[in-house]
Amino acid sequence: MLSVNNIVKQYAKHRALDQVSLEVERGKIFGLLGPNGAGKTSLIRIITQITAPDSGEVLFNGQRLNNDHISQIGYLPEERGLYKKMEIGEQVLYLSKLKGLSTAEATKRIKFWFEKLEMQTWWNKKVEDLSKGMQQKVQFVATVLHEPELIILDEPFSGFDPVNADIIKNEILELNKKGATFIFSTHRMESVEELCDHIALIDRSKKILDGSVDEIKATYRNNTYWIEYEGNYDTNHTNGLFDVLQTESLKEKTLIKIQLQGQTSVNEVLATLLPHVAISRLDEVIPTMNDIFIDKVKRQDYE
Amino acid sequence: MNKILLIIRREYLSRVKKKSFIIMTFLTPLLIAGIYGLIGYFTYKGISATHDKVAVVSTNKTLTEKLTSDKNIEYNYVDQSLEEMKKSLKKTDYDYVLYLPDFTLTTPKGIELFGEKQAGLSLNNRISGDIEELIRNQKLKESGIAQADLDQLKTSVDIDVKKIAETGKEESSSAGASTIIAFIAGILMFMFIMLYGIQVMRGVIEEKTSRIIEVMISSVKPFQLMMGKIIGIALVGLTQFILWIVLTFTISTVAVSFFVDKADVKKITATAKNTNQIATGTDAAPQAQGPMADIQKSLAGLDFGKIVTVFIFFFIGGYLFYSALYAAIGSAVDSETETQQFMMPVMLPLLLGYALSLSVVTNDPYGNVAFWLSMIPFTSPIAMVVRLPYGVPNWELALSMVILVVGFVGTVWIASRIYRVGILMYGKKTTFKEMFKWFTYKN
Repeated sequence: MLSVNNIVKQYAKHRALDQVSLEVERGKIFGLLGPNGAGKTSLIRIITQITAPDSGEVLFNGQRLNNDHISQIGYLPEERGLYKKMEIGEQVLYLSKLKGLSTAEATKRIKFWFEKLEMQTWWNKKVEDLSKGMQQKVQFVATVLHEPELIILDEPFSGFDPVNADIIKNEILELNKKGATFIFSTHRMESVEELCDHIALIDRSKKILDGSVDEIKATYRNNTYWIEYEGNYDTNHTNGLFDVLQTESLKEKTLIKIQLQGQTSVNEVLATLLPHVAISRLDEVIPTMNDIFIDKVKRQDYE
Repeated sequence: MNKILLIIRREYLSRVKKKSFIIMTFLTPLLIAGIYGLIGYFTYKGISATHDKVAVVSTNKTLTEKLTSDKNIEYNYVDQSLEEMKKSLKKTDYDYVLYLPDFTLTTPKGIELFGEKQAGLSLNNRISGDIEELIRNQKLKESGIAQADLDQLKTSVDIDVKKIAETGKEESSSAGASTIIAFIAGILMFMFIMLYGIQVMRGVIEEKTSRIIEVMISSVKPFQLMMGKIIGIALVGLTQFILWIVLTFTISTVAVSFFVDKADVKKITATAKNTNQIATGTDAAPQAQGPMADIQKSLAGLDFGKIVTVFIFFFIGGYLFYSALYAAIGSAVDSETETQQFMMPVMLPLLLGYALSLSVVTNDPYGNVAFWLSMIPFTSPIAMVVRLPYGVPNWELALSMVILVVGFVGTVWIASRIYRVGILMYGKKTTFKEMFKWFTYKN
């Protein structure tokens, strides 16, 4: 539903985005990852039409971005903010009217959401009287109230305690089930790993990785396993089947991390070990998005 | 367009609903009316009630006439010696003792005034004036002029200033009243532009520091947000201005009828009527009727409708001109404490306009300085309303208005280009060079 094609954005001497292209599919949760200052916010600002690119184009449902799309996009910026002196109800009403809702419709929806998130008593409170977590909830409601097709959340879980983070996560999944497409922007992979279908990694204004979470993880498997066993085994006799990367002794048990050599299968390794020791655990080491992220970014640093 | 209206509405209502706005709006007219009432009251009372009793100890043999008393001063010639009077002054109901020694008419020396309190400047002038007149009369008499002729010599002159309007019609005017109106208008204009311009700047900074700006401009264009804020606050200013005028008028009317008793009111209006007659030139022997009547007379000669209309036009124009600049400043900084370096260049022309308008322009409302100050849009809002009560040719007024409109379209355009970049910049110390760079950004 959203195609970003060869976007370039230049700020004076600094190039914030360099030939970045993305494809966000309808109904998916898309993770836009990257370290601080990589260009994520610049890209989001282009998608939300806060700024315009120097070259390249963004297509929303096949159309070039225009004013009509503003009401179809909901944006929760990283730096959350509300008018401090304004009452909550009035404020959310104002923000949703700016997105094109009528007063009656907006009021109805605000009541629905406030009830759902147990915020009914907040209507006449002022923002400055709420805690930071409460303000985040208000802002989340303001972001999704006009039922946008595309919801962009920048660092969605920062500032939430675990209980509220969970509530918000469930709301996101529910909205996603109803058909809303999400873009998450974050530098903290673990927070969105379980939610994202697809990710793109941006580092130093360039896209360096793009693909579905499963695919990426698969390509980053490197035949590494944890094996736990009881008994004695001389780790120098590997018959060239595998390398031992790490050894840890735990009371009676031993834990080793191995990497298979060449075309070796796990079964062959087990066959070698079984006559000598009693195996109690075997795990494949699957890299987390965090590992991949760090690995990719570091590699970028060396180049 | 609809979005601008929503923004205007919020900016307007959130300010008008504030307690501080309500208090300011209702308290200020009370204060103005109170001060105005007090001044009026004391001027009136002061004129009618100052009454000094002066005991005159005269050892003078040349003056044949005596000092004459009137409602403000009472001279009593006493027979006691100066020493005795000085000692017993406390016990008597005299305020002062005036000593007239024996002197020749050519060198009147040694006149002394004693009192428990220091005699004020006006009393001093009054007494010395009376004595001078006495001496002059004496001299005239000695040169052979009869008393009857002397009495006839005395005339009071009141210049009736009239201005010939463009239509050729004569209009009553008075430098005094024009100056008062000019001062009030100039100060009001300066205050309004400053106060509300700074409010715009604060509003922009508030949106920036509370970080709502990014949410806002993902829904509306930066230009819409800026204009909505500027217009919303302008309406707040107009509301306050109109309420002040209405309330001040109401309160002073009520206060006057409450504090000043009816007899006095009649007296005041009678004097006013009297002077009005004089102003129309029916009476041949006009007599000064006190400052109140004088001002009232010339106030009647001013076209208030025009003054208020022009004031409102220049308020809106000047406010738009400056508030756009203030909005640009607000967008460029992270907090109010950082605004100093940018405020100076914006404040300076306004201050200069204010100072020059109230000094040079009021002294020479038709001069070159006045003309140029009222044309340059940086100073024209203040200079023009200051010039207005003295009369300004229509073509100058129109030209100044056109220049001001062009001026604010220009500043709004420049400001909006800085604003759209500035509001998204955080944590950087902004310089003028940088602001210029923002201005040249494409989008």
